[in-house]
Amino acid sequence: MTESAGTPNATVATPTVTTSTVTASSPARLADDTAAGKTTIAASVVQKIAGIAAREISGVHSMGGGVSRAFGAIRERIPGGGSTGATNVAGVAVEVGEKQAAVDLDIVVEYGASIVELARAVRRNVITAVERMTGLEVIEVNIAVNDIHLPELDGGDEPPAVATARVE
Amino acid sequence: MHPQGEPAAVPAADPPGDPAGDAAAVAAQLAALIERVPGVAALHAGTYGDVRTYLPGGRLTGVRVGQPDEPVEVALVLGLGRPIPAVVADVRKAVATVCGDRPVDVTVADVIGTWDTP
Repeated sequence: MTESAGTPNATVATPTVTTSTVTASSPARLADDTAAGKTTIAASVVQKIAGIAAREISGVHSMGGGVSRAFGAIRERIPGGGSTGATNVAGVAVEVGEKQAAVDLDIVVEYGASIVELARAVRRNVITAVERMTGLEVIEVNIAVNDIHLPELDGGDEPPAVATARVE
Repeated sequence: MHPQGEPAAVPAADPPGDPAGDAAAVAAQLAALIERVPGVAALHAGTYGDVRTYLPGGRLTGVRVGQPDEPVEVALVLGLGRPIPAVVADVRKAVATVCGDRPVDVTVADVIGTWDTP
């Protein structure tokens, strides 16, 4: 299931789309780029902030599509292969411009969470965190819910009782 | 949370003499100042690994003071405890105590920790 209403009027993620109605608070300008010099915020910074903010919402079980989750699991085991941040950036893609950022999230939700409510909460938290922390205006947050996590599937505590045959 | 950093505590650079040696000395001085700005976790070599200053006996990562007509370059890793623009503004203030109104290009290359990391 894909719930990807970024903003009321944001339709596609091309850089040319201008959606000026999104943010309630106008983000702080980064710097006076002309005289004082440029301020550059790496995309990985925005990625990490968005990832942390999305995971904060309870009901988000994990992030990433199947492929990126698999890569993330491998990458965590490689020394220096993203030791601290790799888990935070799986499932987060960002596009960062000079003053704006767009965020795409792949999330796995917990079973029992209202996906629409959850997506709304994730979007709100990501926008708040990225705008407050980076000063960039977030023009859209697209959320793809690509799996649902059933808690009893990975319990592992009690082996399935089917081990004993039904008939003897 | 923190007042203004403490840029004023470090003496200003010596008046310019030999440009090359002077740039290296300024870079070392800047690095020491910048590391003390609240919210700065570490210096970083920048996106392309070029924000470095070569010194006799070693090199300094995260600050590059080039020719006088070039901007000073600074690359940083920040903690997530303070908004990035606020930290960058303090870094610029710290650099300005040494370099005056020379343009400063600041790159935030990475962040570490969570919202309460200092």
